[in-house]
Amino acid sequence: MMAYITRLGRLGCDLLEAMGRAGLFLVQSMFGRPSAEGFRLWLVQMHMVGVMSLAIILVSGLFIGMVLALQGYTILVDFGAEQALGQMVSLSLLRELAPVVAALLFAGRAGSALTAEIGLMKATEQLTSMEMIGVDPLRRIVAPRLWAGFVSLPLLTIGFSVIGIWGGYLVGVQWLGVFDGSYWGNMQASVEFIDDIGNGLVKSLVFALVVTWIAVFQGYDLVPTSEGISRATTRTVVYSSLAVLGLDFVLTAVMFGGLS
Amino acid sequence: MKRSKMMEFGVGLFMLAGILGLVFLGLKVSGLDPTGRPNDTFELTANFANIGGLKPRARVTMAGVTVGRVESIRLSTEWYDAQVVMSLNSDLLGKLPEDSTAAILTAGLLGEQYVGLYVGGAPDTLGEGDTIRDTQSAVVLEELIQQFISSAVKD
Amino acid sequence: MTSSALVEVEKLRFSRGDREIFRGVDLSIPRGKITAIMGPSGTGKTTLLKLIGGQLVPDAGRVLIAGHDVHRLSRKALFRMRRRMGMLFQSGALFSDLNVYENVAFPLRVHTNLPESMVRDVVLMKLEAVGLRGARELMPSELSGGMTRRVALARAVALDPELILYDEPFVGQDPISMGVLVQLIKRLNEALGLTAVVVSHDIKETLSIADYVYVIADGEVMAHGTPASLDVEQDPRVYQFVHGEPDGPVPFHYPANDFHEDILGQGVRS
Repeated sequence: MMAYITRLGRLGCDLLEAMGRAGLFLVQSMFGRPSAEGFRLWLVQMHMVGVMSLAIILVSGLFIGMVLALQGYTILVDFGAEQALGQMVSLSLLRELAPVVAALLFAGRAGSALTAEIGLMKATEQLTSMEMIGVDPLRRIVAPRLWAGFVSLPLLTIGFSVIGIWGGYLVGVQWLGVFDGSYWGNMQASVEFIDDIGNGLVKSLVFALVVTWIAVFQGYDLVPTSEGISRATTRTVVYSSLAVLGLDFVLTAVMFGGLS
Repeated sequence: MKRSKMMEFGVGLFMLAGILGLVFLGLKVSGLDPTGRPNDTFELTANFANIGGLKPRARVTMAGVTVGRVESIRLSTEWYDAQVVMSLNSDLLGKLPEDSTAAILTAGLLGEQYVGLYVGGAPDTLGEGDTIRDTQSAVVLEELIQQFISSAVKD
Repeated sequence: MTSSALVEVEKLRFSRGDREIFRGVDLSIPRGKITAIMGPSGTGKTTLLKLIGGQLVPDAGRVLIAGHDVHRLSRKALFRMRRRMGMLFQSGALFSDLNVYENVAFPLRVHTNLPESMVRDVVLMKLEAVGLRGARELMPSELSGGMTRRVALARAVALDPELILYDEPFVGQDPISMGVLVQLIKRLNEALGLTAVVVSHDIKETLSIADYVYVIADGEVMAHGTPASLDVEQDPRVYQFVHGEPDGPVPFHYPANDFHEDILGQGVRS
């Protein structure tokens, strides 16, 4: 009995310590004097993290929009309410699916790559040697990646929504024959810029921070062996997926659930 | 150097696409009108005995055309009825007769509730902050059924 | 200790988890000389370099470099101090996203405001010194192990440091590149007059270039002296290590039960 309580206590202490380290890590790397060199490094990472994830995000967005339209149509047509298809597609995308699915894909595509890259740098002593040269790897390696992730994911989420809504239009209007005007009209009547698009973007900003933070920290904090890298990569995807889904519930409750 | 220029171009394109996407969402999806000034509305109040399921931000229509929306709903303690504040397009300022009426309507059998305005015939008009006197409450399905049953029992 | 020592390590204690790695180590590394730190694998030689470089913090004791306590410096001062040090890592630790030229130029670019033409001159000079001027366009993944280490060496001396730390420079090298590295370390030390610390367990090569040798085992300095004096050292542990005998006071076997008992015991039980 004593042993179990002790073990629980140790788990709690470890968890708290890890979170403290991660928090310190975030603050130390994210806030520093901006420089031209820093901007250039950020640009490179924007390419690696953002542009390289564009394809998977857009393709997924298109399919999800198309599936939403197809599923929504079969349900709505029973009530004679297929005019509300645009509203259904756009609201589900803007509020939920685009931020969440884009964040999950981003964790799989960019997050795992970040962990592996930084982990490999650690395992091959590149981070240590950078420190010995007198350059802080938090500023040089970690900060540009954090900022790139933080900026990229909201942009990717917007792309996801746009192409998803277009996919819904393709299926709903072009294929299933919903009236063009009611698709867009119903959408415009029901979507609020601040409440729906804005809140969706706030969600994706939060997810961006959390996913990149987890990815970069896992890479920086891992055991520098090949096994350590593969474990940390897995952890990145698992932790960030769970964090995204959990936070999504909290954010939805605050934004749309009348908890305000 | 050439590769880095290509990359910068790619990132620039990516960010531009994101911003354009946001503009698209704003204009096409949420129907924001950048030319519309946010302040060109005026407020009217209407008291209803029962608002049913009316919610803030519901539409206010006239002859089926949306002319404004519900700003706020609160309980007035004077008559214990619901005080609904609506904001209407300023085009209608000084054009609605004083004896215009407001009713809470339902879109379809199960649809959302909204406010419908009907024009009266009085010479005086409603201005900013005026109250519509003549109102018609929401139809509550349960009450309707109850009425139907009690009248059926009497027969 | 004399004032000519650039690095002084005093009563250093360090442990990882429950394992004590150093139990009071004293070292004095003289200016302008090559000092070797030797010992069997797993005695924490690399850890010692990391302690000197200020990457790890000891449990007790201190490390003085040119009179400054490394572990008392602020983060900023520590980074400034590190500009005066170079370190050659066991794996080379070249930045894998930069080519050879940019790797050597890296310390110059971050710490100086030299114009590009001067950066170029310095980089080519350093690369020439390690004989890899022709390989400047290659990426680290295209280099052999020996070349990687030579490029890393060029990078470590790019800022003309006062102190250079070599972490196992000879490990895993073929005889030719081993010879090349031995030559390079010796030449750099003579030409630039820099202080060098070589951590290694390659006895022959290390003894051939070192001016002074410390042998570390079991968390303590077991012996120290010039290569010549170590060669005739009578302590059996030192003798075993210096002469590379397979078994002796440092046992060949990992601590275990009696062999016969282990094997027969198993048989009886099952």
